[in-house]
Amino acid sequence: MTAEPAESAEPAEPVGGTDVTDVTDDARTAFDQCLAQADEAAATTLVLDLLDRGVSAEDLLLDLIAPAQAAVGARWAANEWNVAQEHAATYVSDRAVSALAVATRAVRDGRGSVVLACPDGEWHSLPARVVSEVLRLRGFRVHFLGSSVPTAHLVSYLHQHDSDLMAMSCMLAARLPRAYRAVEACRLVGVPVLAGGSGFGPEGVWARSLGASMYAPTARAAADILLRRWPPPLTGHPTLDHLADGEYAELSGRRGAALDAMVRQVTSRISPLGELTEESHDLVVENLGFLMDNLSAAVFVDDARVFTAFLDFTVDMMTARGIPPASLLLAVQALTQPLHDLPRTMGHVTVGRERLERPDTVPEIADEDRGSGAVP
Amino acid sequence: MSVAKHGPQPVRRPGEAGEPAASDAPGVRPDAAELAGLLDLVDQAVVVCDQAGKLRWCNAPAWRLLPGLRLGEAPTGPLGRAAARGDKLFEAEVEGRELSGRRVERDSLWGVGGHAWLVRDESGDRERLLSQAAQGTRSEFLAEAGRTLCASLHPGRTVRAVVKTAVPALADTAAVFLPIDGTWSAWHRAGPDQASGRFTVAEAEEAPLVARALRGLLTRPERCGRRDLTGLADALAPWRDDDGEALVVTLPGVGAPSGVLVLARGSGRPAFDAADTDLAEEFAARAGMALAAAALYTEQADAASAMHEELVPDALPRIPGVHLAAAYRPAHEGLQLSGDFYHVRPSAVGGGADFVFGDVCGSGVEAAVIGGRVRRSLRTLAAVESQPVPVLHRLNELLLEDSTATFATMVFGSARPAENGGLDVLVAGGGHLPPLVLRTNGRVEDVDIGGTLVGALPEAEFEQATVHLAPGELMLLYSDGITEARGGPTEQEMYGEHRLIRDLATCAGMPAGAVAERVDLLLGQWLAGRPHDDLAVLVIQAPPAQPAATPALRSERAEPVDGRPR
Repeated sequence: MTAEPAESAEPAEPVGGTDVTDVTDDARTAFDQCLAQADEAAATTLVLDLLDRGVSAEDLLLDLIAPAQAAVGARWAANEWNVAQEHAATYVSDRAVSALAVATRAVRDGRGSVVLACPDGEWHSLPARVVSEVLRLRGFRVHFLGSSVPTAHLVSYLHQHDSDLMAMSCMLAARLPRAYRAVEACRLVGVPVLAGGSGFGPEGVWARSLGASMYAPTARAAADILLRRWPPPLTGHPTLDHLADGEYAELSGRRGAALDAMVRQVTSRISPLGELTEESHDLVVENLGFLMDNLSAAVFVDDARVFTAFLDFTVDMMTARGIPPASLLLAVQALTQPLHDLPRTMGHVTVGRERLERPDTVPEIADEDRGSGAVP
Repeated sequence: MSVAKHGPQPVRRPGEAGEPAASDAPGVRPDAAELAGLLDLVDQAVVVCDQAGKLRWCNAPAWRLLPGLRLGEAPTGPLGRAAARGDKLFEAEVEGRELSGRRVERDSLWGVGGHAWLVRDESGDRERLLSQAAQGTRSEFLAEAGRTLCASLHPGRTVRAVVKTAVPALADTAAVFLPIDGTWSAWHRAGPDQASGRFTVAEAEEAPLVARALRGLLTRPERCGRRDLTGLADALAPWRDDDGEALVVTLPGVGAPSGVLVLARGSGRPAFDAADTDLAEEFAARAGMALAAAALYTEQADAASAMHEELVPDALPRIPGVHLAAAYRPAHEGLQLSGDFYHVRPSAVGGGADFVFGDVCGSGVEAAVIGGRVRRSLRTLAAVESQPVPVLHRLNELLLEDSTATFATMVFGSARPAENGGLDVLVAGGGHLPPLVLRTNGRVEDVDIGGTLVGALPEAEFEQATVHLAPGELMLLYSDGITEARGGPTEQEMYGEHRLIRDLATCAGMPAGAVAERVDLLLGQWLAGRPHDDLAVLVIQAPPAQPAATPALRSERAEPVDGRPR
């Protein structure tokens, strides 16, 4: 199990929407079935069949595969599926996208070239693949560098290829600091960046913080924006002046210490008498490590919503698995000691802690810790 | 000692009390006329008035700077007004000059006293200041240009940056003509209408300065008119002003020019002066170097990527009855080269696949080169010898003979469809980590083959083992970079075989591709962005029983689009 949100290709795409789609409910049910059985052959046969019968590839990508994949994520979050099932289903969706890519020939009308990548540490490749196929179908030359692309790799690609645009897909706000490196590298080279994905926050607010030139909430929106504004303008400027206080750097340096404090606090509560199994211990460390990444990202863009959204998500996930979320509050409380002298960071920690202290989620927590964090 | 400082001295009577003066120095004692003559050489105006304010004497600069002075009359104009107000300081613009001065009282003048005005022309200073400011702007422009130009190593992007930076600082329209290789070349333009295009040798000849510059024969920037550039009118299309002026500047390169910059100005803008030419030349030096660096980088990157193809694993083939998947993550992420290698190909006889998976000691380019050599040798050896163990012995001899080669660990074998379903896998080992087998029930077994390192000892020993995979079951081959990956809470803990076995157990029922991807993902999380050794996994799976037909697709991991595994 992992604390990361499951893949969803089109989080903001209204289901149905105003577009008329040829994808029927029967087709959706059949595709869901393929994912549930991790049946790659059946899934690819199904989409290719629908394509043969005249359903457009874009509809198949955005109205069949993407929503099915969003449902996979929801099933995982609700603990209906384990992570292996979720992963296998995602793989099958990915194969279905590949099958469509092979079977369709896009019209090349010299619209220019787009390089598409996920930032370092962002493994959700499916949304990026869907966007890449939609842009290709709309006539752009698209090169997909893959998920978790090291910035060094991206930069050497840009030095070797005359891309007009970098499209960056990021589903996890925790990866914003690494996304910034990629965005900044592109800005230096003079390549505009189109940001997309739920990681960039409500209405792409953090895409603007990082200095991206454009933001698109959905794959269709991305294609529409680019068709309207081509060549894409090199605009945008990072608004990260708060980083001058050095807290982000300091926090990165203290990651190990902060993680250690949380792990000790949580494990002593979960298993006060005996040792945790290594598996449980690894799991706790992994999830709390992700908590640290989200806190760091909140400090990086100076917006506590990165942190609170992660906590909300984690509480839901724990609740679905019958794990009392109290341990999450314990973990957040344990951050005060190692981070007490970082006022801006502690501001975000406090907002997060207060979010968890809502009586409906964690009734048993005493008030003694309230307000002990240094609020700037 | 400055004479000017003691302006009124020449009218001082000898022997009079006062500051020590040049005239007091031993040896020289100029008379009043000589001193007056010397004062004429001073660059300040010296105006001497008596107690009544009447002009009694002034030096030559005073007549020039303050027209209207008359001996015996009080000065008129701004100086007169300053005197009338009793000002001690004087500042005024006279005939376009910025004058400033001060009044010095001399009680001892003519025994009754008087005063002198010392007036300086500041306009020269201001011009100097202005030119310093312009110089500052120029250095800023050059610094900014340097930053912009060195940001990219891509030739197209660099040349566009050159023309864009030149406008409007240097020209209204700027175009770069790239060196001709053959019969035509490309131009890029910035200005009112940004564009790119091609020009031919013949067209360049109708713009003789540009043609000369492209041949490397134009050493200094030269000015010309629109009519001198007719052959390249397309490239300079927005510049329609016949009275305008252009400056043709060579962009220096390595050995030969890296292009020619044409800076065009409309007649509404001042013509190019010496300062402009100097600035253009300095800019061209930076632009030329940036273009040369981009060209060199491209040449080397092209060569490297051609060789790169040889050094990275080939895309996995599609083989009926065998599902394959791999993940590949080199330690050097920029280079994407690794000492881990794998290769799978359809068996020449009996169906199924022959495969090798290994790890050359070391990492980076050197290891990748040796890994490539091992793969090629194996291909050749396998063509003459079908049994894995003899092949490994031959390879061992080859590597021992090769003085540059280091040793490697590897698993070499074949997977053949079994008669009653599933796959029979034969693996022979040379000191590699035992392959792991994932059974249908989620149990993970390791296949201990043993064997010694390949290429290390003349008396090598290799062994082999066979494993049956039921439908859906798989074998995972992995490099030691996986189990030795340091991360976790202490950031120093090794991932370890026990974690790999535990995590693999959760993959029962997954397609091969999803398993490879999942191992890669878990390692990525474990490492959390820290450096790592070369990582590689290869998954060989017996097709699951249920879906009978293999889809007409590569079974390898999907991305990236260039068909190379990552």
